[in-house]
Amino acid sequence: MAAFADLCISGTNDKKRLQSIIETAAHLGYSTVAINHLVEVQPKKQEIGKPKCVSELFDHFPIVQGRSRPIRVLNRLTLVVSDTSHFRQTADFKFYDIIAIYPKTEKVFHAACMSCDVDIICIAATEKQPFHFKRPPVFGAIERGVFFEISYAAAIKDSTMRRYTISNAISLMETCKGKNVIVSSGAEKPLELRGPYDIANLGLLFGLSEGDAKAAVSANCRAALLHGETRKTALGIIRTVKKSQPADEREDKEAPPSKKAKLDAM
Amino acid sequence: MVRFKSRYLLCEVCVSNPSDLRLLDERAVFFAVKAAVSRAHGDYGTALIGMCFSVKYLNAHTGVVFLRCRKSHYRMLWSALPFISSLESRGQRVPCFFNCLHVGGTIRTCQKFLIRYNTQQLHRLLPRCRSDKERSEVRKAVLSCSLKVFRNDEEEDDEDWGGEEVAE
Repeated sequence: MAAFADLCISGTNDKKRLQSIIETAAHLGYSTVAINHLVEVQPKKQEIGKPKCVSELFDHFPIVQGRSRPIRVLNRLTLVVSDTSHFRQTADFKFYDIIAIYPKTEKVFHAACMSCDVDIICIAATEKQPFHFKRPPVFGAIERGVFFEISYAAAIKDSTMRRYTISNAISLMETCKGKNVIVSSGAEKPLELRGPYDIANLGLLFGLSEGDAKAAVSANCRAALLHGETRKTALGIIRTVKKSQPADEREDKEAPPSKKAKLDAM
Repeated sequence: MVRFKSRYLLCEVCVSNPSDLRLLDERAVFFAVKAAVSRAHGDYGTALIGMCFSVKYLNAHTGVVFLRCRKSHYRMLWSALPFISSLESRGQRVPCFFNCLHVGGTIRTCQKFLIRYNTQQLHRLLPRCRSDKERSEVRKAVLSCSLKVFRNDEEEDDEDWGGEEVAE
């Protein structure tokens, strides 16, 4: 069984609130959480900026309920895009573990599914989806391993939002048949989080089957994370990591000379 | 004659301020859950749940609640639980949420699970004790309870609560 993950927690400057959200998530049994940074993309050039270092939040990360490991905290970037030409890959992307896109129009949705290098496509929760989900882009996204995200915090807060969220989710499920869907919180307060099993059951309201609903909080989240990790690597095979100087030298000495020569020859 | 099968949902009420838990009572939980079901599933859902829904047990120290309903419709009840965001109790609104821990077919399996869960919580909380004296006090309290011949889950809960308070 894959561990549970919540890939969307609203990032705030309020450190205390963020800490209490993460503590609650650990208490509920989430092994991984991602702090969301929402950016509205403008046509002109703009700075996305670096996220805050995760390790500054806690001295000791809280232990996950039912496990002995501490919780894992990641950074996530969500781009709100209303025109295809606005989406441009920048160098800032490499500071984030996951990149998500929130398409405002059908054209952007099509581009996000077929060509953009993103991990997650967000589905509107606070308004009626302004376009229909067509089969070719959705299947294209599933083929590429891009995930669709439904967030439930708005549904908890308000009755009309709940209607929008459920109807948007079900119209998505009609097209994608429950594949490649993740459900995440989007919580701004600790009391907006819900337990992973409750969410798996809430998935039934969203039109997911039992197995798909469970995968939406566990296995699919892990797949989305791994998809994000491949961006930092070359074709998902090779990864370069900067090492501190002394460690580097030691490794050079330790490496057998024959192997080194072979590498040089290549 | 076949008996009516039911499902017991073992839920934990999570609040931001632990002292708010004292305000909980069975009526408040009953009406909050019923209102949530009627909001989520309308009149039809309320009618199905209303047949046999009851709050079997409530522990105001740890915030543990047993909910009982018919086996055929328990998913309807469960899918409405995430939409509860506050409880109305003694004229006060307590912001909270329900976290479902276990779903069982009999109240006995739920009790067994709760005992195991509370022992786990105790193990989680013990390292938070600041000094050795605190730790030994908690140990003594736990041992004094468990030596009794008559044992039920309520005592188990009290131990957990005691541990929590010392840790804080």
